[in-house]
Amino acid sequence: MIDLVAQSLFSGVLSGAYYALIALGLALVFGTMRVINLAHGELVLLGAYISYTAEEKLGLDPLASLPLALTLVVATAMAVYYLISLIKTDRELNSLILTFGIGVILTNAVLMIWSADIHSTTTPWYHDATILFDTLFAMQAELVFAALGIVLVGAVWWWLEKSWYGRALRAVASNRDAAKLMGVNPQLTEVLSFAVSGLLATVAGVAIYTAKVIQPSLGHHLTVKAFIITVLAGMGSVPGVLLGAVLLGVVESLTVTLASSALQELAGMVLFLVVLLLMPSGLFGRAKRRG
Amino acid sequence: MLLDLDGITVAFGGLIAVGDVTFAMAEGDVLGLVGPNGAGKTTLFNAVSGLVRPTRGQARFLGRDLVAMPIHARARAGIGRTFQVPQPMHELTVRENLMVASRFATGRIDRERIAEILDLLKLGHKADADAATSLALTEQKALEVGKALATNPKLLMLDEVLAGLETAGKRAFMHTLAEVRQRYGLGLLIIEHDIETITRLCPRVVVLNFGRLIAEGSPDHVFNDPEVIRSYTGGEAA
Repeated sequence: MIDLVAQSLFSGVLSGAYYALIALGLALVFGTMRVINLAHGELVLLGAYISYTAEEKLGLDPLASLPLALTLVVATAMAVYYLISLIKTDRELNSLILTFGIGVILTNAVLMIWSADIHSTTTPWYHDATILFDTLFAMQAELVFAALGIVLVGAVWWWLEKSWYGRALRAVASNRDAAKLMGVNPQLTEVLSFAVSGLLATVAGVAIYTAKVIQPSLGHHLTVKAFIITVLAGMGSVPGVLLGAVLLGVVESLTVTLASSALQELAGMVLFLVVLLLMPSGLFGRAKRRG
Repeated sequence: MLLDLDGITVAFGGLIAVGDVTFAMAEGDVLGLVGPNGAGKTTLFNAVSGLVRPTRGQARFLGRDLVAMPIHARARAGIGRTFQVPQPMHELTVRENLMVASRFATGRIDRERIAEILDLLKLGHKADADAATSLALTEQKALEVGKALATNPKLLMLDEVLAGLETAGKRAFMHTLAEVRQRYGLGLLIIEHDIETITRLCPRVVVLNFGRLIAEGSPDHVFNDPEVIRSYTGGEAA
């Protein structure tokens, strides 16, 4: 039993790494634009399907398909940004409707182009087993993308903390008008946040394609997970996103192991509601700001 | 001219918040903007800094048309502005607040100027502290001025920067502002309710009431103007 729980915790941590990539993209866009991009999960899905097509039609290894997937997903993210930027009034509310609609369109486009069949990589290496510490099992894909996920989250954290455009993005997230009066061009930070969000979504999409299975309805579930993690983390905390993602991964994994896979999504929702109730600012968010 | 406003009008639906205001400032001028609550002072500040778009009128800054200029471009052109309620960048330290302003408004980080501003505003000991949680009110007000100064402005617009400070703090801050002006040779446009502050700092004053300019001139002249007295007392001039 202990081995089963340990394996479950380990699998949860591995899932948390790519959950973090998805959630961080959503959190970045929310931070700079106060827009919840409800089509974010569909961008992840698009990355996954492009990787599938590159493997199926061009014989490309999923990792080698990253540049192609990245180009197309970031271009789509830019198109979503362009449509959002056309909203002139009540952007926070109207963008919800717009991005929900874009999500539906993207899901249906995926369904029309790739059908409702489920897919996963056909490159055997990704599904090869690795045994760690004699007891913990993981697929190669899970280990590779967990490592890549942690490195990417760390890189984004460094970029936000140390680069000038990262600081500008944080300034806009903190106070948009005051940032503009300091010479920061908010459109530039918005474009950057969408581009980085698209990059993270692409890697997460390829991770899911190699470690799990993909199907057209997956996008919506991923957006919900990303939203739960963002709230768990507390707005504006990158390490919090990583820890929130791992927490969600672990809770889901333990639920599947100890109860039923049918309760996996429900467990995430319960966690979300409990944290909202007890800690409205999230596990790592600032409780109250002054000034 | 540093700033040239001609017939600036800002209407919110049927409400005229600022109506047909015209005045100008030369480089290095210090101008006080006064008036009762709701006179339209902050709305006029918002129109000049770009937070609201004038319904009518022309605004020029160093000869450049301001009305169509984005806010961040105004900061880069040389307009610095503070808010009545301090607006620090919560995610950044005090020094980073100034560095972001310097980097994005001027295209380079002027570390020497930033150190000078921190020293001038007595924020040196808090330079690496979190701007959100570590500053007393006077320090938050100082940071507000510091952020604007880091943009290397030619015009600094101060919106009730002394409000909420006790008398000693107010006097010390006035002294600092005079030093700032002397060191950087800035034009200052100051909204302030405190008559003593305005009289000490501003050789020229513009008075607004219900959005309209009702008097302009030296503090002695405008504060003895019967219409100005009426606007404050709501009654007859003494």
